[in-house]
Formats: sequence, C-alpha cells, structure tokens
Amino acid sequence: MTNGHPLIQVKNLDLYFGAFHALKNVSVDFHAGELVGLVGDNGAGKTTLIRVLCGMHTPTSGEVYFDGQRVEKFHPKLAIDQGIETIQQSVGLCDNLSIARNFYLGREPVRRILGIPFLDFTTMRDKSTRVIRQFGLRDNVSADDEVERLSGGERQSVKIGRAVEFRNRVVIMDEPTNHLSVREREHVNELAVQLKKQGLLVIYITHDIFQVHKLADRIVIMENGEKIEDASTSKMTAEQLEEVIRQGGRVVERREALS
Amino acid sequence: MTVKQLTHTQGLGAIIGVVIMLAAFTMIDFSGWWTRQTIANVVQFTAILGFVAMGQALVIMCKEIDLSVGSVYGLAGVAFITLEPTLGVPGSLLAALVIAALAGLIQAIAVVKGQLPSMIVTLGGLFTARGIIYVWTGGSVHNFSEAARNHPVTRLLGGELFGIEAAIFWLIAVGLALNLLLWATPFGNQLLATGGSKESAESRGVRSDRVKVAAFVLCALLAGFAGVLTLCDRPQTHVTLGELMELEAISAAVIGGCLLAGGRGSLVGAVLGAFIVVSFRYELIALGAPSSWYITFVGVVLIVAVIFNQILARRLGHSV
Repeated sequence: MTNGHPLIQVKNLDLYFGAFHALKNVSVDFHAGELVGLVGDNGAGKTTLIRVLCGMHTPTSGEVYFDGQRVEKFHPKLAIDQGIETIQQSVGLCDNLSIARNFYLGREPVRRILGIPFLDFTTMRDKSTRVIRQFGLRDNVSADDEVERLSGGERQSVKIGRAVEFRNRVVIMDEPTNHLSVREREHVNELAVQLKKQGLLVIYITHDIFQVHKLADRIVIMENGEKIEDASTSKMTAEQLEEVIRQGGRVVERREALS
Repeated sequence: MTVKQLTHTQGLGAIIGVVIMLAAFTMIDFSGWWTRQTIANVVQFTAILGFVAMGQALVIMCKEIDLSVGSVYGLAGVAFITLEPTLGVPGSLLAALVIAALAGLIQAIAVVKGQLPSMIVTLGGLFTARGIIYVWTGGSVHNFSEAARNHPVTRLLGGELFGIEAAIFWLIAVGLALNLLLWATPFGNQLLATGGSKESAESRGVRSDRVKVAAFVLCALLAGFAGVLTLCDRPQTHVTLGELMELEAISAAVIGGCLLAGGRGSLVGAVLGAFIVVSFRYELIALGAPSSWYITFVGVVLIVAVIFNQILARRLGHSV
C-alpha cells in the first residue's frame, strides 16, 4: 500500500489567523495509493489543513514537502500544476459561468490564431458534456448552461467529474457527499476507491467516521487544530475511533482549562 | 447568434432601450433629431463615451469600480496637447496613453495589494488626477498648432473617414477586439470568473489580482484613448475636460446591463448605454430645452434601466 517516502509530508505546521491559532504543530504523512480519512468536528482544522495543501493558505511556520521537495510558495495555481486537485465544499464553481467554462477555469484549452490564444470551445464543450453525462446530470442540462441552474448534487458531480478528468497525483475531497442522494453518495465513494487503486493519493474529509472507515486505509483525527489520532483502519474499528473523537475533545478542553 | 443567446445577453435591455428611444425621438422631434449635425455629434460623443464605458464595464464585471476615468480622460487629453510641441503628435499620443495606463496601474495595485475598496482608491485617483490637470495647465487653455492639427495622425483619429466621424471606426475596431478578449480568450474567462466568485476562481488557480490589475489598466487606457480622440477632433483643452464623465460612463455600463454584483455584463450594451446617454443630451439641445435638464434625464433613464435590467436578470434566473 505505502512505498518509500511519503508523497505529501507535513512537518510541525502552525497557522494563525490573526490571534486565532488554527493549526497547532500538525505533522502528518500521506502516501501515494492511499485513501486517508480526515475526520473531526466542525472547527477541528480539517479544512484549514487541506487549504494549506491546495495552496490557499500559507502556513505561519512548519514545512510541507511534496514528493520530497520542500514547498516554498503556496498558491492554488502551483498546487494544481503539481497535480493536486481539490473538491471543496463551498467554492470551486462560478455561478455566472457555463459548466464548460467552469470545467476548464484556470487551465483553458486554447487554439492559437495568429499567435493569440483563443478558447477552444469545441474541446471544452465536448469533454465537459461527456463528463456530465457520465456523472448523471439531468438530460436537459447542457455544458453551455450556467452552473446557477444546477442542484447541489449536480454541482458536486461537476466538481468531482472535473477532479477525475484532470486527476494527476492527489485528489482531496472536502465533505464530497454532502447534499447528495444515497445513490450519488455510493457513486462518489466508489470513485474515491477507484482513484486510490489507480495509485493516487486520496484525502477524504468527513464528519462521518463510519462511512469513511469502510473506504479508508488510515484515519487521521483532528480536534481544535491538533492531530489527535493517526491510525490504520485495520488496527482500530470505527467505534474505537469514534470514542477517540469523543475523548479527544474532552482531553483538549481539560488541557485548556488547566492552562 | 441564436435567439436564445440574444435573449440571454445582458445587453438586451439596452437594445430594447435604444429602439424605444429612437422611436420616441422620431415621433416627438423628427426634424430636430434626424439632422446631419445632431447625428454627427451623437456619433462622435457616443464613440468617445463608448470607449470609457467599455473600460468601466470591464472593471465592473470584475466586481470593482473606477471613478477616476473622467480625470484620467482629461489628464491624457491635457498630456497629449501640452507635450505635443516637444514630442510631436505620435510621441505625445504615446506619452498620453502611457500616463493613462500608469494611472490605472497605480490605482489597481493599491486596490489589490492594499486590499482597499476600489470606490475609495479611485475617488482619490479622481481628485489627484484632476489636481494635476489644474497644476499642469495653470488653468489656461491650450491649443494645437496648425501643423499638429493637420498631422496625419490627428486627422486619422479626429477627422472624418468616408464622411463619418473617424472615432466610430476606432470604436468598432477596438470594441470587436475587446469582445473577443472578453468572451473568447482564457483571460476573459478568468475575468468573468473573478467577478462572479473571486474565491472560486482563485481555488482554480486564477490569479485574480493580476486579472483585476489588467482590467483597471485597460479601463484607464481606454479612457486615455478617448481623451486623445476628443482632442484630435477639437484640439483645445480645458481644466474641466472629462468632469463628471465617470458618472456618465458608469451609467452607460449599467444601462448596458452590467451588474454591480460582478461577473455579468456586456460591452455592446455599454456602448448602447453610452448612445442612450449621449442621445438624450443632444435631443434636449435640439428641442431647445435648458441643458441643465440633461443630468436629470440621465438620472431618470439610469433608474428605469436598472429596474428593467434587474427584472430581466431575475426572469433569466440569475441571482442579483
């Protein structure tokens, strides 16, 4: 399952938003071909951590290594260029643009005329149409329709479809099954496992320890900006991990009360 | 363009507005409106305001605003005339455009790097540039020499081509290029995305700061070019050159369907908006109404247009 050096290595990461200490000395490794569940309550720091990995936040201190190389600059463009694809909960789609335009936002295919890069509308439309059909969007939705028209599940499907289409090395999913129907949820979970089997690193963020325990090789639990558990799913049951989440909260609260 | 696309364009309101306006002017004042002089004036000033309005539209589509365009327009015009004796016509034209672009660049950097509201930064720009005009000209009027008036560049920009004001040809050429830039290039896609949802655009790797800087610089360049065009047509400066033009340009862009919420708008609409604003000015003159009524009419048209565009946008299911 894991081989040699980790694909992403996070070392002693701290992140402050003003006075707020959002990530506290977090160290964690992620390997290629691994599906890692990142679990914790609201405000635990899961999303903040992955926003560092996808280049949206720059850590205050600590180090991040990608494929053995230290990451010096944090920017979404650099992360995407390195093959880190992120499916985020609330951001990622611009309502005012068509599905095809959203699909290729930031990496638009071009056809040069007199050296000027023009959008290659044919490629944009054809590829995104194929993907939205594959992901079961309503038949009357076309790639030229604005994202505004889509339901919550359809938006999620577009984001996941995009991540799969451009998959490179890492796919990070932040609560990917929110707003989805039971069947859509199963489909997404199958995809996550499939991606892992193809050798990608999949980081799967959720509240639902029972759901992700079935899929993941390893579970990382966060609480109040700290990593409080990092265990293989073969070693700990979902019930045990749930207990850690419950206890972990108290441990941290007790520690804060003392200090 | 299919019927569906036409009804989905943000410029639809302006198209309807132009039709209604032309019908009304034709009915109430056929002889005054359809004269060579009125049409020539309307065409000339639509072209000039159209340039400024297109730039403003690009900035509004980024969810920003540029209040400095009137002053930048004036500053570029003053630079063009006062630098001409030393630099010659082509040299001073270039210098005027560089000054305009710099004005846009400085303000844009303040907005994106300082994370300041563009309304305040460009309000500062409005006063600063206007102050420079006052100091530079010393309040006096400057003219082109006879040789500069007859320079081929001056005539190409300010004269007539095929019996029609040259400015309109420039507007069509630049307008076509800008439409392609906005709707058919990666830059345009990223500009619309930045205006629609900056956070989402950035999460996809769009450098929204750069996009905004480019929009502000383009806007200032267009305003500067409009200033040069005006001076080529009437080569005389005045310290008030371009005063209140920022408000006319914003009105034109909004009448033309630009939503201040960002991400939606139309360059063709902005030009049609400019046509509506300018037409009201000349029709009132043609009717012999006191020119002071003009501002009131623009205000009323603006409010009616905004209401209309909002209704239109809701009907199309946009969140506004």
